[in-house]
Amino acid sequence: MTTALKPTLARCLWTTPLFAVIAALAVVIVRNVLGMDPVVQMSTLLTFAYIFGSIGFIVGIGGFDYWWKWIIGSDIDPNDHSQHGAYSWRDYFRFNTDHKVIGVQYLVFVFTMFLVGGMFAMIFRSELARQGSEQVLTNQQYNSALSQHGAIMIFVFMVPVFAGIGNYVIPLMIGAADMAFPRVNAISFWMLPIAGFIFLSSFVFGSFDAGWTAYPTLQDQSPFGQTLFQIGVIIAGSSSIATAVNFLVTIVAMRAPGMTLFRMPLLVWSNLATSALVVAATPFVAGAMFMAMFDREMGTNFFTTAGNGSALAYQHIFWFYSHPAVYIMVLPGFGIISEVISTHARKPIFGYRAVAFSSAGIAVLGFSVWAHHMFASGLESWLRVPIMISTLLIAVPTGIKIFSWLGTVWDGVVRMTTANLFALGFIVAFTVGGLSGVMLAVVPFDVSITNSYFVVAHFHYVLFGGSMLTIYAGLYHWYPKVTGRMYNEKLGRWHFWLTFAAMNATFFPMHYQGLEGMPRRVSDYAAEFAWSNTMISIASFVLGASTLIMFYNFIHSARHGKPAGNNPWGGLTLEWMLSSPPPVFNFPVTPRVIGGPYRFGEEGAKHAIIPEVEPAEVEKVGA
Amino acid sequence: MSATTPDQHAAVPAPQHQPYRTGLDTNVMGLVIFLISELALFGAFFMYYAYMRTIRAVPYPGTFDIPAEATSINTLILVLSSFTCEFALLWLVRRNHWGVFGWLFVTFALGAVFLGLQVHEYMIIGFTPQDTAVGSIFYALTGLHGLHVFVGIVLLALAMVRAARNKWSPEKHTGLLAISIYWHFVDIVWVILFTVVYCLPGVVG
Repeated sequence: MTTALKPTLARCLWTTPLFAVIAALAVVIVRNVLGMDPVVQMSTLLTFAYIFGSIGFIVGIGGFDYWWKWIIGSDIDPNDHSQHGAYSWRDYFRFNTDHKVIGVQYLVFVFTMFLVGGMFAMIFRSELARQGSEQVLTNQQYNSALSQHGAIMIFVFMVPVFAGIGNYVIPLMIGAADMAFPRVNAISFWMLPIAGFIFLSSFVFGSFDAGWTAYPTLQDQSPFGQTLFQIGVIIAGSSSIATAVNFLVTIVAMRAPGMTLFRMPLLVWSNLATSALVVAATPFVAGAMFMAMFDREMGTNFFTTAGNGSALAYQHIFWFYSHPAVYIMVLPGFGIISEVISTHARKPIFGYRAVAFSSAGIAVLGFSVWAHHMFASGLESWLRVPIMISTLLIAVPTGIKIFSWLGTVWDGVVRMTTANLFALGFIVAFTVGGLSGVMLAVVPFDVSITNSYFVVAHFHYVLFGGSMLTIYAGLYHWYPKVTGRMYNEKLGRWHFWLTFAAMNATFFPMHYQGLEGMPRRVSDYAAEFAWSNTMISIASFVLGASTLIMFYNFIHSARHGKPAGNNPWGGLTLEWMLSSPPPVFNFPVTPRVIGGPYRFGEEGAKHAIIPEVEPAEVEKVGA
Repeated sequence: MSATTPDQHAAVPAPQHQPYRTGLDTNVMGLVIFLISELALFGAFFMYYAYMRTIRAVPYPGTFDIPAEATSINTLILVLSSFTCEFALLWLVRRNHWGVFGWLFVTFALGAVFLGLQVHEYMIIGFTPQDTAVGSIFYALTGLHGLHVFVGIVLLALAMVRAARNKWSPEKHTGLLAISIYWHFVDIVWVILFTVVYCLPGVVG
């Protein structure tokens, strides 16, 4: 067989266009048969070509090969591991079923998108650096850059990056050989490059420019790129649903013997809560996107005023996903922080059960607060107070977590490694974001401050000061495990202090700007904001540049770093019991969990053992 | 792609299949969780429908006469197909693979008839997706369900291929079980849809 027929990226080069062209032809034929005018409607054609082209890509990469053979009754071997594991760098560029490879694929891809999304932020910050409009970008381009920044950062960076970290770490933490559905896992990764490509390719068709929320009726006026935004979100959403199903089954059914619910590391707990959220909430964004897409491409009337539709209904459905999405983007981060702080402060996590239950509490409460994004939108007035109360309530489980991290650090033997610096920095920055969130939950305050830079400051403190710092903490924490080498600690500290300082310099003044009434999403501003905006732009460039230190550090250390050994941090959870990087099939023998995951300070305490003897004798040891 | 040769795999020890703690079938569990998220997708559309019909009180475009006879028959057909789908599993226990094939075919046929009647209804209903918001959501709900029926009958057809080649056995038939669970799900959603969209307007007006 030639390379073009085997499941590789090379096969995608012909399957993708093939599926796209067939779909386009089918559209033309159907329109012809139904007597629609015009027969060749470019936007409809492209919509179908994009959707089926995406399916063609998954077919090309080999996502359905196994099931196809299975369903037609060909001979297949369920224990065929030929697609599992990486033996050379090429194996990272193919359909790979190894969760560790997929984790690395995720992280490399989403951080590429992170750079792209950050680039868009730099571009529109340079427009905002000086007062006056259309200096660097036209207003249209400004809107596009802004929308691309939001869409890329949220849908192909912040949501999947935790799937990447979880993919690598969770099967190791629970003592499993792999995820429950390795092929589904690979498919959900390969959907992401498609979504990223679709977002970026929308520039060919005028990009999308209605912000990441894309409210109708604003988005009705956007060029065809807006439809591509909707397709991209649907694909990224499918990817995250598939991953969540995978995580749920893996965590529920594939834990090592002895790992009861309350012996699970907290990252596993928070991923369980997050996955439940994704399964229940993400379909709603798909629903909203489908309806909006039908409105644009089929002339339906879901959200148009002319056809008795309701633009407010879009906001209800959209935020019913997108508020839980905020927790989808930060709950796994909480888990990472629990791991990092406990390990680096050499203390058991303070109030383990409280932290675990607060994750579940946030997941449940997260569904009852969506309308706080809509206080100023002409919402039914009776909804305001209940939603305000539930929004204020959600600060309680979050506060529980903050205090138990502080309780963990208190009196601990704290090691100021880069990972721990990021974790401690997260506590500070996230508290700021959380407090401004409580302010925004109060209806009168929200109504007067809505759509101002105060909101921008709030969600950047939550997403950058919150999620992003947890991601950095996690990356530095598990980098030795993934590569087998230590990163450069000095460069790591430079990265932390520059990022932390620049982050605060960028986003803190935005609180003041918002309170003074500077509206968001506008390319020009009043003269009184000139000084602060110039400062913010400079700080944001420093913030962007500081990221490069990490990339240099990680790429350089992967080759030249000191060997890390199995357990550089002295962690107790299962992944630290394996070699760095772990063997292709993880555990040579199924481990047995014999205690809690954070038993620091107990003499000779162990979380788990990897028996090297016969299972019969293991029974006695485990008992 | 010559990166992974069989030799390299020979060097790796065979993976350990550890016992599942719960004893649950992971495939069925994954399917059920996936169907919960499907229910949420339908939920988004149902919520929109409820919002528009109650809080917004938007009427159907023109006069919406419930095609009671046709749609009731259609409902009956789909409910019946749930039973025939289950019969396939009963015949599997008897190790009669042509029986399995036959019942799968009956289920497939009933599903196809259902789809045909749905399309026929679209042609006679008297309004289009472009006629007001309620017209849009009517087509979106029934269309989304129709798409699921379509996927279902494709899966049934593929299951028939396997049945004809005698690849299902009472010991190993997770795929057939999964398809039947999916088919029941599609059926249940239709019963909800029929109640909410077809029957309630007659009551609520």
